[in-house]
Amino acid sequence: MLVGIRDGIKLVGISIVAFCAVFVCAFFLNFYVDVQTVENAVTEQMRPLYDAQLATARFTCAITGGFLAVVTAVMLAFYIKLYVDGNGERIGILKALGYSDGRLALGFWVFGLSVLIGATAGLCVGYASMPAIYKQLTIDGLPNVPVRFNAWLPIALVIAPTALLTASACLYAYFYVRKPVMRLLRGRTDITKKSDKHKKSSRTISKDGRFLLQMCFAVLRSKKASVFFVAFSSFCFSAMVQMGASMYDMDSGTMGLMILLIGVTLAAVSMIMAVTTVVNGNAASIALMRAFGYSDGQCALSVLGGYTPFALIGFIVGTAYQYGLLRIMVDLLFADVAEMPAYSYDVALTFIVFAVFAAAYAAVMGVYAVRLKRISIKAIMLEN
Amino acid sequence: MLKAEGIYKAYNGEDVLKDVALEVEDGEFVVILGASGSGKSTLLSVLSGLERADKGRVWYDERDITALNDKQLTAFRRDTVGFVFQQYYLLSNLDVENNVKLGASLVGNKNYREIIADVGLVEKIKSMPSELSGGEQQRVCIARALAKNPRVLFADEPTGALDESTGRAILDYVSRVKRERGFTVIMVTHNANIADMADKVVSMNSGRIVGVASNPAPKSAYDIGW
Repeated sequence: MLVGIRDGIKLVGISIVAFCAVFVCAFFLNFYVDVQTVENAVTEQMRPLYDAQLATARFTCAITGGFLAVVTAVMLAFYIKLYVDGNGERIGILKALGYSDGRLALGFWVFGLSVLIGATAGLCVGYASMPAIYKQLTIDGLPNVPVRFNAWLPIALVIAPTALLTASACLYAYFYVRKPVMRLLRGRTDITKKSDKHKKSSRTISKDGRFLLQMCFAVLRSKKASVFFVAFSSFCFSAMVQMGASMYDMDSGTMGLMILLIGVTLAAVSMIMAVTTVVNGNAASIALMRAFGYSDGQCALSVLGGYTPFALIGFIVGTAYQYGLLRIMVDLLFADVAEMPAYSYDVALTFIVFAVFAAAYAAVMGVYAVRLKRISIKAIMLEN
Repeated sequence: MLKAEGIYKAYNGEDVLKDVALEVEDGEFVVILGASGSGKSTLLSVLSGLERADKGRVWYDERDITALNDKQLTAFRRDTVGFVFQQYYLLSNLDVENNVKLGASLVGNKNYREIIADVGLVEKIKSMPSELSGGEQQRVCIARALAKNPRVLFADEPTGALDESTGRAILDYVSRVKRERGFTVIMVTHNANIADMADKVVSMNSGRIVGVASNPAPKSAYDIGW
């Protein structure tokens, strides 16, 4: 009625993040359990190595898996918010007819499908790649760890998160659809106090005649979640690419490559999702600006330009995060391990990664600027 | 009987309704007349439970709907009132039958196809809203509202977007069904000619009711001016 099965399935972004989270957690958790089966074969001499290996599995699973699980939940909330905002009128009609908030919110269970699809795929791929990864994870000198199927893993990594996130989706939707009927019907989702604040700031900037700057601020205010995802995208890129490259240098080639790939995937998904939302959400404004005579460059700058500082902030935080994480691993978890490769902050690497990120960011923005050019005022008017 | 007393409503600090009081008898056809911005649509929203008044009371017989919580208000809308909007507000992804069923299924009405036939849309039952003319969409909207068997039908400028002949046909249908079923109709319009069809005409200006007049001889939709 309100949300179709197709709406749930098309959330590819959530599926990808859920895939990454479950993929990482699947083999680290499985490894963590399986490695304990060889504990008796570990000599006293190798005990520190064994403990370090256990700690790494637990630590990586908690940090990476936990972090990605939170991101999946945030993305789900973001999509539901987008969906409710975009379908406010439909929800308003149903509420006017007498459909209860609870009944409408229950329809949002389909958003859990994307989590189920991603998590199932992550678990399957995780298990498929375990034999190869186990070899890489096993430190030289320790006994080989056999791959075993742990039955609780599908429950812990697929069924439970899907059920939890589906329930959260319905609950989040429940609070979101509780807006007054007339506000939904008229498409007014802002709170009055906020709009008063907007008016004040708009007036101040209008006096200076800086309309494009005003438009930039308006876009950022209206799409706050996109600000988060742009920053998150650059954070993922910065943190995971630098971490992956550093681990490669520290003789953890496979792990390094894996982290690097996950980082690039997450960064691409978040960036595309955020910028697509921003462009689609501002299509009418762009069409009008162009009709009024603003150039394509000015339109693109006013819609996309405001996100650049946040991308920069995300990159800086990501750099600090990966440095902190590697320091903890090297100085604390592997402190007792002999012949542990040294780790020091690589300034040149940061600059190279930043240059790649800047080029990729500019390319993405360039592609979307071309998309903005294609928005026609006639199409927008016909839609409305 | 519907009774409103001392209704106040403000948006962004600006009073839209000021001390509005109104009484409507069961089965009456009431037209609320007023210029754009006079507060008539807001009054309709408050009377129908779509919006809450800032101050004042609205009774349906002995039941004060301003005292209801959100859940109770939803149940009230489901069981008591029907809406016809100027913008139709049909669900674009549902065909005619399912749009009407949307209202019917709420109250377990299985005879909704009869209503679709009544509004003359049998042949368009599988058509999507985008394939219908304005008049046809409005008929679907009316069918959806009537399929709930409402006690009070609220209509906000139901002919505002229609041409004269379609508008007259819609009004004729509403008044005919009202006579047959005996429900109350409260219609908002800025077209003073439609007032000639009503039992009671409520005039509004600047958020206040400035006049209530009874009409002893309501005309049919085809006898009024346009």
